[in-house]
Parts: sequence; structure tokens; C-alpha cells
Amino acid sequence: MEDKNLTQNESLEIISRMIKETRNNMERGGGNIFLLWGYICLIVSLAVYCLLSNTGDYRFNWLWFAIPVIGYPGMIYMLKKREKGAITIASRVISNIWIVLGIVAGLLSIYMFVDYKAYPIMFVMSLLINSGVAISGLVIRFRPIVVAGFLGILLSFGMLMVAGINQILIFALLAVIMLIIPGHILNNASRKVKAENNA
Amino acid sequence: MPKDNVNSFRELDPLLHSQLRLAVMSLLISLEEADFVYLREKTGSTAGNLSVQLDKLSQAKYIEVDKGYSGKKPRTVCRITDTGRKAFEEYLEALKTYIG
Repeated sequence: MEDKNLTQNESLEIISRMIKETRNNMERGGGNIFLLWGYICLIVSLAVYCLLSNTGDYRFNWLWFAIPVIGYPGMIYMLKKREKGAITIASRVISNIWIVLGIVAGLLSIYMFVDYKAYPIMFVMSLLINSGVAISGLVIRFRPIVVAGFLGILLSFGMLMVAGINQILIFALLAVIMLIIPGHILNNASRKVKAENNA
Repeated sequence: MPKDNVNSFRELDPLLHSQLRLAVMSLLISLEEADFVYLREKTGSTAGNLSVQLDKLSQAKYIEVDKGYSGKKPRTVCRITDTGRKAFEEYLEALKTYIG
């Protein structure tokens, strides 16, 4: 691109082309973080369910901490690996939302050590994470994620209707609905945009 | 061209009415920040030319340029300022008078 003067039409063409470039930036690699958290939640919840139902030993609940222990380093690694040439306003907003939700989720888990009957933890966590998914979807204006988030919010209330360790199965189902399916859809959309740009 | 039409045209900001500077501002308007490599790739410009144009935008206070490091590699990050945002909006308004 040269430093030459422009006609009015050329100006408009440059503005629209460059703004389109930044829009494509938004979805790139976003699905992988959904998939990371989704598969960790699914595997851990199924493992906890199997161990609790077979042994009845509630110490296996400690395994829930595997989610943040594996998830956070994995996410940091992925974010570092991702192209960091530009930060969109939407990606900054989404990062901040998840930082706040992550802190709240951590505090809610820690308070369980003080009083494990204080609140239905599975319900509260699901509601929190699904709200984050719905807000993220609204920020990037990506309908499958908005739908997944709100569907997840509705399904979270199912946990109040199910007793005991069966709540864990709903949590596993939610991991598929709120994180794994939207993650794959987001990556597919991202691949399509990339293919269109290369065409 | 009728005289009335000529008078209704607003002057286009000469700093923005250039291919590369307009491209940089159009990228930065919808981003929180972008680094030098990203801007060079998206605009398809040479490093030397981009550097000169960024200096011009920076001198006009349309953008902020932070020179730092990412690990051991030098990294230049650019952000649009409020002055730059206002100038860009005025440029668009002026452009409308030519097209509308």
C-alpha cells in the first residue's frame, strides 16, 4: 500500500475492507478455549460421578479442583499461542467478564470448605458459567453461543429438581451444550471465514 | 459542477486522505490496540513506509505509539486516541458530502 491520495470511492473501499479485517479477527481460535473447558468439565464430572456412585467416598469431590488446575494453565498457554497482533474491544470485554466470573467461581468453591450446605454449588456454578457464555455470545453477536448460554441457564434450574449425585450428570450434559457444541460451531465459522479470505 | 454543490463539499482532512494512513486509522478505529506487524500485514505496506506514516499520525496525536518488548522481541503497539477518533468521524462526515 502506497502513501497516495485517494478518490472518495477509494477511501470508502479502504475503510470497509479494513473494518472487515478486524471483524474476522474476533472469532479466530475462540472455539478452542470453549472446547478446552468443555472437555475438562465433561471428563472430570463423569469421572467424579463414576467414582462416587461406585465407592460412595465423598473425598472424590476433591477431583473437581482438577478443572481449574488443568483449565487455567491450558487457557493461558492457548492465549499466548494465539495471534496477539491486535486486541479487539470485544475480546477485551470478554476476557474481563471471564476474569470476574473465574474469581467468583473460585470464591464460591472455597466457601464450600466453610459451609458446604450454604448453597447448591452445582446449580450456582452452572448458572454462573452459562451466564458468562450467554454474555460472551451477545458481545461477539454469535447466535449459537447466545442460544447455548440461555439453554444452559434454563437447564441449570434442572439441578434444583434432581437430587444427589445425579446433578453431576446434568452438569456433564451442560458442558456439552454450553461449551463443546458452541466451541465446535465457533471453530467451524472461523474456518469458513478463513477459507473465504483465502479464496 | 454547479457552484452550490461545490460549496456544500466539506474539506477532507489531508492527514487522513491518504491510502496508508486511512487504512491504519480504519483498522485502529475498531480495535483496542494493534501492533506494528499486524498493521503491516493487514495494510500490505512496507515497514519503512508504515513507520513514516505512523509517525505522522502520532505527531498529529491521532494515535499513541508504545514501544516495548514482548519477551525478548521489540514490539510497537498503536492505539487510536480521542483526537484521532474525532478526526476519523469528521472525515467520514466530510466524505458523505461527496457521496450523498
